Amino acid sequence: MIFRAVEDTDLIRQACRGSVESYNLLVSRWEKRVYNYLLRVTRNREDALDLAQDVFLKAYQNLRKLDDPGRFGPWLYRIAHNEAFSLFRKRKPEVDADSVDPGATDTGITVGGSSVFPIELSLAVSSALGRLSPDQREAVTLKIYQGFKFEEMAEILACPVSTVKSRLYTALELLKRELAPLSPRGAS
Amino acid sequence: MSCSPFDLRDYYLKELTDPQQRQVEFHVRDCPACREELDRLRLTEAALLSLREEEIPQRIAFVSDPVFEPSRAARWWGAFWGSPARLGFAGASLVSAALLFSALTRPAGTSTGGGLPAAEVDRRIQAAVAASEVRQTARTTQLVHELVERVNTEQYARQVAENDARIARQDAYKAEIASGDYMTLASNQGGSR
Repeated sequence: MIFRAVEDTDLIRQACRGSVESYNLLVSRWEKRVYNYLLRVTRNREDALDLAQDVFLKAYQNLRKLDDPGRFGPWLYRIAHNEAFSLFRKRKPEVDADSVDPGATDTGITVGGSSVFPIELSLAVSSALGRLSPDQREAVTLKIYQGFKFEEMAEILACPVSTVKSRLYTALELLKRELAPLSPRGAS
Repeated sequence: MSCSPFDLRDYYLKELTDPQQRQVEFHVRDCPACREELDRLRLTEAALLSLREEEIPQRIAFVSDPVFEPSRAARWWGAFWGSPARLGFAGASLVSAALLFSALTRPAGTSTGGGLPAAEVDRRIQAAVAASEVRQTARTTQLVHELVERVNTEQYARQVAENDARIARQDAYKAEIASGDYMTLASNQGGSR
């Protein structure tokens, strides 16, 4: 069990009063999760890191607008979601995330075009995730990797729970088709 | 299509209520198709989780850059309330301003006697002084009278005492004469001269 002397809500209140140290501590608690969420969604380390910086900057600037400090997590992911999809829209003319060539992502998460996951299973998973649309990939990330409930996902994505479930279950069907035959080999 | 009473994916992701979860569990025990579907979901999730979280390559740190600090007004306001000296000075300034405002806004000519003219004030003062002088004179007269009475009384008492003493001496003289001791008396009187 991890004991936290100071809760996130206390840190948020202190940060609202101008304590940069409190906000830095809050960032250190959430940066890995937010970075990995952005990495799954964007599939690019540089983008994920840049976006994470922007997310925490915007969160700090808008911290006083957060009505319930207990909802900091979903609120932060909502900002991250907006930042990621804002990037997608900016790049749409050159890279349409919905129409990414599956073959281009077969090598997994890339940095400067080189693969960083040599393990077969990881490649297969990365490839399967790459075939999903950004919306579907984000739903999988929020549910499987971040562990949010449907209600929280609906809050983050600003859409009904039914839409969240539709995206997630469509994605799971695709992933199941890709990964279920492979997993006994790689996971065992 | 699943024959489960509730969506197996909802069950697997623990999004059902407790009674619903139990119903699906009960169903899955006797349904090989649903068990197989659940196994596939488990394998899929296990494969997805093989993709581990990465460490962030560069820590995100916020330094005390002015852009992240409170505004100048907010900092001044905080410092103001945190300084008793400044607060005291502000209070004194407020009182001074109120006094100045009061002095500047009070109408002229009504500052004497609550609106009475100066002549009336003088007249009342003179009347009060005269009444006081009368009271003082009467008191002085009374004191003098009491003093005179006391002196007279004391003088009368002294005269009475002297008379009583002279009468007593005369009585003693007469008594000696009557007893025949005249010569003694005469010699005493002659010796004393």
